[in-house]
Order: sequence, then structure tokens, then C-alpha cells
Amino acid sequence: MKKILAVCGLGQGTSLILKMNIEQVLSEEGVQAEVEHVDVSAASSMTADLIVTSRELAQNLQNGEARVVTVQNFFDVNEIRSALNEHL
Amino acid sequence: MDVIVWIATNVFGTPAILLGFIVLIGLLLQKKNVSQVISGTFKAIIGFLIIGAGAQVIISALNLFEPMWKEVFGITDKSFSGFIGQEAFNNRFGSAVTLAMALGFLLNVALARFTRFKYIYLTGHMMFWTTTIFAGIIIQSAGTDAPFWKLVLFLSLFMGLYWTLQPALTQPLMRRITGNDQIALGHTSASVALLGAGLGKLFGNRENDSEKIKLPSGLEFLRDSNVITALSMGVLFLVGAIMVSTKGTPGAQELIAAAGEQNFLVYSIVQALTFAGGIAIVLMGVRMFIGELVPAFRGIATKIVPGAKPALDVPVVFPYAPNAVTLGFLGTLVGALLWLLVLGQTIGYVFVPTMIVLFFHSAAAGVFGNTTGGVRGALLGGFATATVVAFGQFAMVRMLLPDTIPDTAMWAADSDMFILGPIVKLLAELLF
Repeated sequence: MKKILAVCGLGQGTSLILKMNIEQVLSEEGVQAEVEHVDVSAASSMTADLIVTSRELAQNLQNGEARVVTVQNFFDVNEIRSALNEHL
Repeated sequence: MDVIVWIATNVFGTPAILLGFIVLIGLLLQKKNVSQVISGTFKAIIGFLIIGAGAQVIISALNLFEPMWKEVFGITDKSFSGFIGQEAFNNRFGSAVTLAMALGFLLNVALARFTRFKYIYLTGHMMFWTTTIFAGIIIQSAGTDAPFWKLVLFLSLFMGLYWTLQPALTQPLMRRITGNDQIALGHTSASVALLGAGLGKLFGNRENDSEKIKLPSGLEFLRDSNVITALSMGVLFLVGAIMVSTKGTPGAQELIAAAGEQNFLVYSIVQALTFAGGIAIVLMGVRMFIGELVPAFRGIATKIVPGAKPALDVPVVFPYAPNAVTLGFLGTLVGALLWLLVLGQTIGYVFVPTMIVLFFHSAAAGVFGNTTGGVRGALLGGFATATVVAFGQFAMVRMLLPDTIPDTAMWAADSDMFILGPIVKLLAELLF
């Protein structure tokens, strides 16, 4: 199963909302994946297939194996859907 | 009767188990599959237990920080002892906090359903800390034998009202910041955000928008909370250690002896990083159980309240004015250092300027200050944040909860809690 990380600076509230919105998109698209929300430090030491985060944090996460997808508005399900569609 | 007593002790009296049950029900209500229900329930329970472990690590580092700065300022009284502490507090009152969170949230949902305040508070980690700190204030005032259900009832009413009204208060400005009415702010920085907006209006210039200026990209590290905590506490520990090293007083020698074979400066830096590590542990614990709880909450709320607006964590405002976030932080940094010195020299209180609190709150105050007063508004908002946090922390640690969880108040108590804390104290004295 694919693993997706939802990342924000503290890994608490914002990334959790992002995670819930990603899960909503995944279930609409019928894709099975495990989504976890973490802070940016933890994310850089974790393995995953895909990392979803903001543009500002993406720079810190480019070096890993995972592909990094940036989303401007974590609450815009449509934006998340189009960002994810290229990678699912 | 035995069954009731057994359940009362082992379920309601064991907060980790109670929390596990609440999450279990939430996951079942969302019709998750068996695997998700099992892993979610266990993660919630483990997460809650991790918090106590992290709290211990934080205290061990503060056990050097406080005496070290007391030595620097020449303060003699030893106040930092004799409290319950987060871990023991969670064991005794965690069930009341957990239930109050759940019931308070249901009240929030009911108010959103039946009044014009359509805000659902979803910032779960702040729900937990706010309820915990207010529980500490009540226990301080009512004693450790405060009746369980009275505590739960009071806290759930108070929190439910706060979670509904706080987003309503900040929403007029949120509409201006975000340009629409889709999301609300659900965060304990609301008071300094409003204060920042007020100061911006009085002393700022709205035309001088912070987003017109270019800030150096060297400030990118500010985005990682672990890094800012480690860096700022590292500097404070190091400065304190150098100043202690130059003193020949018995207190200074005693502190240096605690380092053993290790160089005292190296020892101090390791303690600073340990403090950052402790916060990371606590946050990991909170993430593990909030991550299971909040989706269940949202599932319930969206079913019951049509047209509800989610009240969300403070980073939601950052993208609308990223420069104002940085300016707010610069303002708060100046304020925090100033108040560290002033409070230490005058009233003899060692202010612990925890960067997580200061960063997120000054960011809110910066963004709100910028909408009314541009660059000056953002800087003033940040400075006001440091002022509220410094004096608020002093009042809370010394007066509002010195015997319960002052250790937690030093790094997890926020602007709104400082503003509402005295009211909670007053109500607790009247009602308990």
C-alpha cells in the first residue's frame, strides 16, 4: 500500500486537516493509501511514496526518496485533488 | 454496585483507557474498517501515555534552566518544586479533562447547530492543552478532592462556550485576511491576534503592507518548530551557562558540579537540546491521539451542522501574509528578551520564552496587525504577544497554578489561557 505524508511545521492541526482532505480525495478516487500527518523534521527521516506539503516547507524535503507535492491551500479539496492526480 | 465501582476506577479513572474508548466509538461511528479501528484505538492510548514521558524530559531540562538564570539574576527563593507535575496530573485528572473535551465539543456542535455562531473548533491539540491548564487552575483553587462530575461539567460548559465564541470574535478580521468566509481561526492566539489588530489600527499604517517588502530567505529555518526551539533555547542556556561560569558563588559551583566530568557549557547545550527533545516527544504523543480524535469529531459535526465553518489551527493564516509572520516573530523576539531581563531583575521571575508559543502566537498577531497597520502593525503585534506571554506566564506559574502543573504552563500555556485564566480562577472559587 502507498504511504503518503501530510506535512506542516508543527505536525499538529494544519497537517491533520490536510490529511483528512487527502483521505477524502483518495476515497472519492477509489485509491487505497495510508496517510499520516507529521512535522517537517519527522517527515525528512521517514520513508513514504509521496509527501504533500506547502511550498515553503517543500524545500526542506526535496532530498528524500519520496516525491514532494506542494499545495497552496490545505483546505481546498479541489486543489489537493488536482495536485494528487498527477501522482496517483 | 461492584461493577459500577470497577468501571469508575478502571475506565473513568484511567484516562488512557477512557480516551481509547472515546476514540473507539468515534472510529466505529465513522464506519472505519477493523484494521483502522484497532490501530487508531491503540495509537490514541499510546499517544496519551507518551505525553507524560515527554513532560518528564522537559522538567529535567527546566531543572537546570531555572536555577541557572536565578543564579544569573541573583534570585534566592526556590519556587520550582513541590508541584504535581503533568504526568501525575494526567493520571489523576486526565479522565475529567478527556470527558470535558468530548462534552465541550458536543456543546460547541450544539451551539453551532442552533445559534448563528456556525463555528466548529477543530484544533485538537489546543483543545487538550486549554482544558488541561484550566483543570489545573480549578484543582489549584478547589483542592485535589474536587468532585469529578462538577469538574467535568464546569470545564465542558466553559470550553464549549470558548470554542464557539472565540472563532466568532476573530471572524470579522479573518474575512478581511482570507478574502472569504469559508474558514475561521480556532486557536488560543485569538487574544493577541485581536490585540495586534487593535495596535495596528492605532499606531500602524495599513498602506505599508508587509507583503510589499522582500525578506531574506535565510529565515526559512523558522518554519521548523524543532529547529527554532533548539536554537533559541540553546542560545539562552549557553548565555546563562557562560554567566554562571564567571561567578564564583556557591550556587554557581553547585550547578557546575552537576555537569560532572562534562564541560558545563556543553552540558548546558545538551540540556537545551533535551528540552527541545522533550517538546518533540510531547507533541508526538498529542499528535497520536488527536490524529484519531479530530477526524471523528469532524465526522460528527459535519453530519449534524449544515453550513458549519471549521475553526482551524493558526497556520491557516500564514499563506495570506508570510512576511507578517516573520515580522511578528521579530517583534516577539525583541519583547521576549526584554521581558526575560526585566522580569528577572525586578520581580525575580525566570521567564521561559518557549518559541513554539511565541512563534505561533506572534505569527497570528503579525498577520492580524498587518491587516490593520501594515509593517508597524505586524511588529507591534509580535511585541504585544511577548508581553502577554511573559506577564501571563508569571501570573499563571506563581498565582494561578503553582501547586498543580506550572511545569506545563511554562511552555504550553497560551495567550488566551492567560486572559481567561483569572476568570476561571474566580469562577472556581465561587462554584467549588
